[in-house]
Amino acid sequence: MTQVHFASTEQELTAPIHFALIHYGDGEMRERVLDFLGPALDDQRQAIYLCGPPGGAARLLRFLERSTARDLTAEVTERRIVLGQGDRDADQQLQNLLDPLRELCERGFSPVRVVGPAAWEVFGYAAPEDFLWYESRVLPGIEGLPAAIMCTYDAAQLPAPALLYGALETHSHTMINGVISESPSFLPADRYLKTRLIHLPWLEPDEQPREISSARGDGPARGQRNRTR
Amino acid sequence: MGMVVSRAAPELHRGGIAVLDADGNVTWTDEAWVGEDDESGLPRVAIGSNLLQAYRGYSDPRAQAIANAIDAVFEGKVTYFEIEHRLDRESQSSFVTSVAALRGDRAGAVLIHKVVGEPAPSHPYRPADVRGGDGAHASQGAPRLTPREREVLALMADGSDNRAIAAKLGIQYTTVRGHVRSVVEKLGARSRLEAVARAYQMGLAPT
Repeated sequence: MTQVHFASTEQELTAPIHFALIHYGDGEMRERVLDFLGPALDDQRQAIYLCGPPGGAARLLRFLERSTARDLTAEVTERRIVLGQGDRDADQQLQNLLDPLRELCERGFSPVRVVGPAAWEVFGYAAPEDFLWYESRVLPGIEGLPAAIMCTYDAAQLPAPALLYGALETHSHTMINGVISESPSFLPADRYLKTRLIHLPWLEPDEQPREISSARGDGPARGQRNRTR
Repeated sequence: MGMVVSRAAPELHRGGIAVLDADGNVTWTDEAWVGEDDESGLPRVAIGSNLLQAYRGYSDPRAQAIANAIDAVFEGKVTYFEIEHRLDRESQSSFVTSVAALRGDRAGAVLIHKVVGEPAPSHPYRPADVRGGDGAHASQGAPRLTPREREVLALMADGSDNRAIAAKLGIQYTTVRGHVRSVVEKLGARSRLEAVARAYQMGLAPT
């Protein structure tokens, strides 16, 4: 068991852990991410893995550098900070996470802290249902590893309630308003797949044409008119 | 049956109409449409080109959504569809942000399905890197899967990742990836999970 501390809050996690940060907007996300990753920046025994949709890891690194007024090039070069990448193939994305994570653990880093933002319909990234499958497979994948994984879900940006429900159901713990707690909605991967994932509303068969509200929920479906010529 | 497709980039004051024949070939198009395609990264629309095939050749979900919308019009499920653009002012390029398939006339449209996204300006649509699927939909009957593909599908439906499938079947990881890709294509799915969902719906996976 590896204990994972935060920079400014009293909370403590026990790794391995895979938790969802449910936040509202970039400001809160940055505050929580810095609180989570901060202790690893000054501790040579710890490592950081950044991932997410295309360009996400680089953005997180730039944010860390700006926030701490540090140049983290050396940490990246020596692979104490590793920039990962998502993939439109969710299985490949899972390997993109687990392979470097195992490598960092084998090199003796403990804990390894991971941050990855959830994204919706981003070019080059997994489809939402595949992304949730990936999320459900993370915890079994890190079993026995001193890894703490924070996945960030922006309630201000993510369009479909299904994705936020997915966050609650695929992570054993959640952080809401800065407080970590066990997710009462959490389901093990196989049960999540068979009871939730394959029943996502947009995967149901279309026997009859039916209304599907905008993926961003930006207005009523019926009678909606788009800005076209 | 001919049909009318409209697209627009409101900020550019652009829009366009194309009339397609039953095979998806453009038989007429207005000037506003022709010539803006290189900017948006979408297939070029010109008289004689096959719009359906052109969009099918692009992997981005919005391009696929447009192709599906064209299919839906041909099948009589929707009357028309609309494509919304966003202008990237820096590059003066327009990018598709949503595709909506609608039933009814323009004044009383009912939204049937809408795909929304924000492709990065630096990532225009690319030709699909996975081709060869027959695009069969679940409603068109069970696809022809090889025995091995059925085994792979059953393990996918059980939640296994590709490495686990490779270990269980005693085959290479890269071979599994090929089987998964083939299964997804044959089921006419856009994603691994959509294929699994269809497998359950079609009774191809044990419950």
